[in-house]
Amino acid sequence: MKTYLGIDVGSLTCKLVLINEKNEITFSSYFRTEGNPIQAVQKGLRELKNKIPKNTEILGVGTTGSARYLAGVITGADLIKNEITAHARGTTFFIPDVKTIIEIGGQDSKIIILENRVAVDFAMNLLCAAGTGSFLDAQAFRMDIPIERFGELALKSGNPTTISSRCTIFAESDMIHKQQIGHKTEDIVAGLCEGLARNFLSNVAKGKNIKPPIVFLGGVSENVGMRKAFKGALNQKIIVPKYNTVMGAFGVALLVKKLGFPKSKFFGFEISDKDIRCTSFICKGCPNQCEVIEARIDGKVIARWGDRCGKWSSLNL
Amino acid sequence: MKITFPYWGNYTIAFKTLFKKLGLDVVPPEKTNPRAIEDGAKISPEMYCLPLKINIGNYLSAIKRGADTIFMVTSLGGSCRLRYYGAIQEKVLSDAGYDINFIVFDQTPKDIYKKIKEVSGASFWQIIKAGWFFYEKLRLIEKLEKMANYLRPRERIKGGTDKILMQAFLDLDKINIKKELAEFKKEIEQKISKIEIDKEKVVPKVGLVGEIFTVSDGAVNFGIEEKLGKEEVEVHREMDITYHLKKRVFPWKDWLIQRKINPYLGSTVGGHGRDAIYEMLNYVKKDFDGLIQLLPFGCMPEVTIRPILQKIHLKSGIPFLSLSLDEQAAEAGINTRIEAFVDVVKNYHNKKKKI
Repeated sequence: MKTYLGIDVGSLTCKLVLINEKNEITFSSYFRTEGNPIQAVQKGLRELKNKIPKNTEILGVGTTGSARYLAGVITGADLIKNEITAHARGTTFFIPDVKTIIEIGGQDSKIIILENRVAVDFAMNLLCAAGTGSFLDAQAFRMDIPIERFGELALKSGNPTTISSRCTIFAESDMIHKQQIGHKTEDIVAGLCEGLARNFLSNVAKGKNIKPPIVFLGGVSENVGMRKAFKGALNQKIIVPKYNTVMGAFGVALLVKKLGFPKSKFFGFEISDKDIRCTSFICKGCPNQCEVIEARIDGKVIARWGDRCGKWSSLNL
Repeated sequence: MKITFPYWGNYTIAFKTLFKKLGLDVVPPEKTNPRAIEDGAKISPEMYCLPLKINIGNYLSAIKRGADTIFMVTSLGGSCRLRYYGAIQEKVLSDAGYDINFIVFDQTPKDIYKKIKEVSGASFWQIIKAGWFFYEKLRLIEKLEKMANYLRPRERIKGGTDKILMQAFLDLDKINIKKELAEFKKEIEQKISKIEIDKEKVVPKVGLVGEIFTVSDGAVNFGIEEKLGKEEVEVHREMDITYHLKKRVFPWKDWLIQRKINPYLGSTVGGHGRDAIYEMLNYVKKDFDGLIQLLPFGCMPEVTIRPILQKIHLKSGIPFLSLSLDEQAAEAGINTRIEAFVDVVKNYHNKKKKI
């Protein structure tokens, strides 16, 4: 079986998708990065190896997400692509006429505007991480609600309270205040979801031309409360497609398949049992003082990056 | 008296020559690096814009190396907070306990001449000669930067242009005699003509507008021109020192710009706010494939005109990216945005070609 692998390493979660020649997803996984992208990739590959048939051949590997360079270097990826393009490509496969993509992940949120199946405009959150997965995670933990049940609870509310949503710090203190004066938990949870949707639309999506069909992706799209909040705020139908959490990995797998390299640079599954280490140092060669990162597999340097002049990254190893 | 001045991209080379030619003792500013930005931000008030903090960082490293006099330009009667830049910087430094001689001059030939005469005691003829040499060097630097923007997306060996350019600026820094400069010009022209390029290649074009210091200093904007060039995008930038000086000498240019942008903005907003709108309209007219606005976080003129640029972008469909930089900006985040923007620009370019 001929397959292509897409790896999306985000700030909070790591996603792997394997597609076959017919663009069907034969394997997908979604798990927490736990602050260690290298180990997460190794773990994902180990799981993948155990679950796929022995005769599977990987013809291409693509990486995306905020740790795309690192993931690309340690797996020997054929393509390293930014999250925006990867998500746009993945989504247009399922919903060809999509006009707007809202993607909220662990640390960042983004909006992508598409026309004729390609991205024509985008925005990412700049200064504020309100409404992203890690904030919801922290609040769920504080209120002692499992994050998986957060959305359900929000749906139960008949009268959501208003929670200030200008920034996470205000939202949090306002939420505590609302708890102290005796609001019901589900009302607070629902109010939080609404506030975060409002925050997204007034910060990230400001000045963007939001047209239906609107697709909602990323880890936060699992939260039914947030889906409802966006539906209410935009007064439009919100589509959450299948594979909503692994869309970036799926997109980059499609992109690497289209490249059609005859032979993949993929290092193979053995990589998951090797000792991969990254170290960094500050180059003192010139006043630029670039922070150079060095990746080693089993003690052997495989790549260096982070310098501006190419003194280290172009070294033959 | 040991003189220092703020670092400003490759133009620093020209400024350094100017002071040296006048027979002054110069402590050249160190290239802006993360440590300088951090040091400057530490003693500057939080709300001040990035260029001010970087200038302060440059001074601090020069003071450590023995500088005791700072030359800083100001702009009476215009240009945002720059009007008070010299005064504010002097205050920031003195509040932090530095006793430094601060020479602030206005952007008029008369004031520049007067202050230089005072400091250096050079003759009229010497000042004119030094000024001309400075201008020649500056023009060469700007020309090289523009040429590089054309060459980078077309070069056959990736990084070839930057390698030659980096060496050229190092060499140029050492040249102090007019005759040598003429020779150097010839030499560098030969070297550049040897760079192998694909002349037939059609590449997308992107315009760079925004605050003058941020767009023209690669150390501040994370080398955005090189990054775009590597992604095979041709960058156009009008904003440089000559552009600014020309506007100072021929003030009616502002009036011409105002006439063109009347439907969008009725008056000046300070800085180069009007110019950015004018340039964007120009780029749209010239059928460019994208536009990037660079601004320091909290830059009043640029923040004011951002919604106008956004409006032009929605109306014309030209891809638009606004990058706000401050001392917290992380290169990884900027890279992701630039990479995604390049994809959007290429989509737009390909779509246009098909029609």
